[in-house]
Amino acid sequence: MKLVGLLVACIISVHLVAQTPASAPKSAGTAASSGGRDLTGIWDTATVTPMERPKDLAGKAYFTPAEAEAYEKQLAIENDRDRRGKPGADDVARAYNEAWWDRGTKVVPSLRTSLIVDPADGRIPPLTPAARAAAQKRAAALQAPPNGPEDRGIQERCIVGVNVGPPIIPTVYNNNFQIFQSGNTVVVFSEMIHDYRVIPTDGSKHIPSNIRLWMGDSRGHWEGNTLVVDTTNFNGKTHFRGADENLHVIERFTRVKPDQILYQFHIEDPTAFERPWGGEFTFNKAKGLIYEYACHEGNYGLSGLLSAARAEEQKAAHKSEDQKH
Amino acid sequence: MHQLDSARFAWLFLPLVCASGLLAQTPAKPAGDIEGHPNLNGIWQAVNEANWNLEPHAAEASPVVAVGALGAAPAGLGVVTEGKIPYKPEALKQRDQNYAKRIELDPEVKCYLPGVPRATYMPYPFQIVQSGKFIFIGYEYANATRTIYMDNPGEAPVDSWMGQSVGHWEGRTLVVDVTSLNDQTWFDRAGNFHSDKLHVIERYTPSGRDVIQYEATIEDPNTFVRPWKISMPLYRRLDKNMQLLEFKCVEMVEELLYGKYRKKPAN
Repeated sequence: MKLVGLLVACIISVHLVAQTPASAPKSAGTAASSGGRDLTGIWDTATVTPMERPKDLAGKAYFTPAEAEAYEKQLAIENDRDRRGKPGADDVARAYNEAWWDRGTKVVPSLRTSLIVDPADGRIPPLTPAARAAAQKRAAALQAPPNGPEDRGIQERCIVGVNVGPPIIPTVYNNNFQIFQSGNTVVVFSEMIHDYRVIPTDGSKHIPSNIRLWMGDSRGHWEGNTLVVDTTNFNGKTHFRGADENLHVIERFTRVKPDQILYQFHIEDPTAFERPWGGEFTFNKAKGLIYEYACHEGNYGLSGLLSAARAEEQKAAHKSEDQKH
Repeated sequence: MHQLDSARFAWLFLPLVCASGLLAQTPAKPAGDIEGHPNLNGIWQAVNEANWNLEPHAAEASPVVAVGALGAAPAGLGVVTEGKIPYKPEALKQRDQNYAKRIELDPEVKCYLPGVPRATYMPYPFQIVQSGKFIFIGYEYANATRTIYMDNPGEAPVDSWMGQSVGHWEGRTLVVDVTSLNDQTWFDRAGNFHSDKLHVIERYTPSGRDVIQYEATIEDPNTFVRPWKISMPLYRRLDKNMQLLEFKCVEMVEELLYGKYRKKPAN
């Protein structure tokens, strides 16, 4: 996976923005056949259900089975990177063919039209004015040639995978996780950049508030057969959907079937979002093993981006010199 | 992962291990066995000077003048059971060159994954979580990880920095066979190195509640004239509220690696 990892790191930030919606409806609900407190296994978090409900599905919380099928088919065609486009930009945009992608092919089993279930409109609540201004500044920096590594995303810098959270979110590439359990410890391990969280379920308290971490400090407890994980102490530098260091995530992991975990997340961050919000989706048993994703060790992409930016500036400077003479 | 799948992994159903065991967070309780095997769960750390040099060595000044005594290497009696590492003559020259250029060449300087066995005796804690047919080890340094497969998944599809680890129990000892390691890692900060023919066999034997006796046999016919061993105790971190924290050093080396491409002056 390490070879694949670096090449794809650059395209991910581009394509995460381009989620493709569609339309269709129906009912749902998760039958809880108990898997007990055993969350262990290798899990695939991919789904084609979008994080936010597409605007053309406003007011429609669920697909019908027929609509879900149509939606999956439509996305499969739209996303197909093996389909060659017209020569030029359209074709270059598909340079990474289907072998590189891992978006999943199915909507969530509930047939919901968005991962977000709260608020009821399936949309992330607005950012506060301060958080919006900060997000706009970061977006502008991403559009401009980077001054230094900090102008690029955390995935390209190989610091934290964009999907590992918390909260965990489905992404377009590498949705593989493994959960380990022993005694009062649960480990949530992500293939992406070998990020892992060791979650104690022994009733211990969060670490002192002045210690801030990229992935926060997670504490778990069981409510029936559901693992509830409370995470605070974020450093605020992952900017999850515009969140800052006050991000507080509550996750619920329930093994509803031998081959399924229902994953629910609740987000609070009063300085970033105008109200709390949350969502849910399903992890499915994965077919293979987890492999090493050595991202930083082969990160030629970041050097390439930065040196290209400097070369462009030099070229522009020479050109303006020439024009003076 | 999806590209490397195979039906041979269909056995991946994992029984929950109901360990009545000891937790890292409550080290006062003694470790109960897990399914008849020693319980190695907990947070561990080596307390020795192998990090600086596996071989016996005197204390030494920092290779970077500016950091003074902060960067000096403490003296150590060594952890190689036969004293010195049995290098082939050419390999010994390479080691000495590595040492001379260690600031440029040591993968740790760049926050690269440490490989095995180096991850074990770096001055950072690591946590063992014994979960059925898998034993997870999370290292604080660079959030490096290993999964020890207690059921052999077969040959690894590709070499990697941390290799593939397959374990089994021999009495009270966890024996881990580590293969498919690449040639990019070192053994320590003194330039001791290996090729991609490296094969490491580790032995973790509990010795009392809070100590694991650790041994690693190193084989690499490209680099050494015979297999050799290191041996050291690993200690349980008994500190109050002990837990792993993040040491995501990538951000800490960005200026070193990418500073030359930074816009000066910035916009």
